[in-house]
Amino acid sequence: MKNKNKRTRMIVYTILTLLAVVWVLPIIWIVLTSFRSEGGMFVDYFIPHHFTLDNYKMLFTNSTYPFGRWFMNTLIVAVVSATLSTFITVVMAYSLSRLKFRWRGRFLQGALVLNMFPGFMSMIAIYYILKAIGLTQSLVALILVYVAGAALGFYVQKGFFDTIPISLDESAMLDGATKWDIFRTITLPLSKPIIVYTTLMAFTGPWMDFIFARVIMGDNIQNYTVAIGLYTMMTRESANSLFMAFAAGSVLIAVPIIILFIALQRFFVEGMTSGAVKG
Amino acid sequence: MAEIKLEHIKKQYQNASEPSVADYNLDIHDKEFIVFVGPSGSGKSTVLRMIAGLEEITDGTFTIDGEVMNEVAPKDREIAMVFQNYALYPHMTVFDNIGYSLKLKKTPKTEIEERVHQAAKILGIEPYLERKPADLSGGQRQRVAMGRAIVRDAKILLMDEPLSNLDAKLRVQMRAEITKIHKRMGATTIYVTHDQTEAMTLADRIVIIDHGDIQQIGTPNELYNEPTNTFVAGFIGSPAMNLLEVEYYDGMLVSDEGFSVTLPQGISKQLTDKGYEDKKIVFGIRPEDLHLDPIAMETYVGGKFTTQVEISELLGADVMLYTKIGNSEIVVRGKGSDYVAPGTAIQVAANLSKAHYFDAVTTNRII
Repeated sequence: MKNKNKRTRMIVYTILTLLAVVWVLPIIWIVLTSFRSEGGMFVDYFIPHHFTLDNYKMLFTNSTYPFGRWFMNTLIVAVVSATLSTFITVVMAYSLSRLKFRWRGRFLQGALVLNMFPGFMSMIAIYYILKAIGLTQSLVALILVYVAGAALGFYVQKGFFDTIPISLDESAMLDGATKWDIFRTITLPLSKPIIVYTTLMAFTGPWMDFIFARVIMGDNIQNYTVAIGLYTMMTRESANSLFMAFAAGSVLIAVPIIILFIALQRFFVEGMTSGAVKG
Repeated sequence: MAEIKLEHIKKQYQNASEPSVADYNLDIHDKEFIVFVGPSGSGKSTVLRMIAGLEEITDGTFTIDGEVMNEVAPKDREIAMVFQNYALYPHMTVFDNIGYSLKLKKTPKTEIEERVHQAAKILGIEPYLERKPADLSGGQRQRVAMGRAIVRDAKILLMDEPLSNLDAKLRVQMRAEITKIHKRMGATTIYVTHDQTEAMTLADRIVIIDHGDIQQIGTPNELYNEPTNTFVAGFIGSPAMNLLEVEYYDGMLVSDEGFSVTLPQGISKQLTDKGYEDKKIVFGIRPEDLHLDPIAMETYVGGKFTTQVEISELLGADVMLYTKIGNSEIVVRGKGSDYVAPGTAIQVAANLSKAHYFDAVTTNRII
């Protein structure tokens, strides 16, 4: 019996180790590559022969590829759209979870169906709308597009709000609280984990999105985000020479996301609603 | 002062074919302790929630001290409520939980401090004020919920099955404390429960509800001794009243299953006068009005009948005999010394002057 247990565990750990290696290896490779000073895109070894910071320096000094500018663009778009998206999503989810109004059920169904279509299906239409109001090639347009998508992505948050017992709201109501008091002092503090989740998702979006940024920005290289900016470095002519800089850029993209995650992760862990009702 | 008046109150949910509460009329006096009792789904909580303002009133008038409250928002009704599941705010300490309503009213900090401590003292939860609800036992959470209600000093206090999540011992203890708190605060209290023992021990008056209709309103004594129909008779009292469908003729009550007693003249005259000769009626007798001792056999000669013991439960001072005549069950409550082994046939003497007689069709009380 004990031997069998041991063997199962061995197998499980072997599989897990393998998966971990497969998953972590590319990340290690890209980090190592970003510090490599020799060669180009194609080298047949893993650990660089010479380490350097020049790749990073190049990103912030080269004027053809203004990575610093792109990075700030993305950061601004990410911060603004994460703030607005979180607000919209939470407000949407709260009202759909707590307020009863006509067509609520239909609305939920409609939103569910709409959610199944990929966002970029409407890309061309969005482009023409933005062009009509003269917003193409601007960061505002990008923020608008990302934030607009938030209004539909409330399902997870609504599910979370639904688990907060309605009797808490009722109790607060009798204690003399207005709807706004309840939202501010009861619902929001209890929803920290889901708000953190929403913010993180909304923040990472702009760093990863390629399609919308590409369509909206066109050839206005000054307003590029990191995703499309880095991609322009990978043309046939420049790919080989700029490859290590490209790797350095990829590493830098991860930095703000990691910082935000570390700052917010403690809220994930707290089991906030425990002890609310009975025992 | 808090006089509550409910006139023709009705509640109809949109998708329900029948109203949950049909026509509810009740006057509650100042400082009174009213208990709504009834089986699950009888509409007792619905009425409570309408008073609190958590449910809309479909029809009728609800007034507090003569002022119509139908459309007043819950927060402006000055009503405190204890919820069945306590509804404590999990992210706040016990202190903040109790003080929440005062804080919303912008009460000065020192006063909040004072009042919360006072409420906590009454309930014996002062040592836990800095804890979160998750770190409390069920009984302590219940006390916090009570504390949240009493700290407000509201004129009206509503309680929705507040003890149903506690174990038996704690429930008895809290019951006594609720009575004490009521005396001390003097708030008009409405208490909802499905437990008739709680209703009997706590209430000044009991309102017994079934299918959204008030069956009877009265003091615990009235409900116990003069139930208006078979529902009230069967609901109040533990174990429940024995109810037998019998035929009345020639001064006797007889059932097909072999039950037969001779009524005292006074009772049979009344039944005859009311036209029940040769008709079916429901005969009701409480387990404690069925006797086993020799003196009773001599006293209640006409009330003697024989029945088969199926189960005997010795409770110490008392014994419960679950007996059967044909298919009808009859429970007898005797003294501990009356214990009889299951399977034996026993003779029982019923005190017929304490028995209840109901119309078999309308289920209403005849005598």
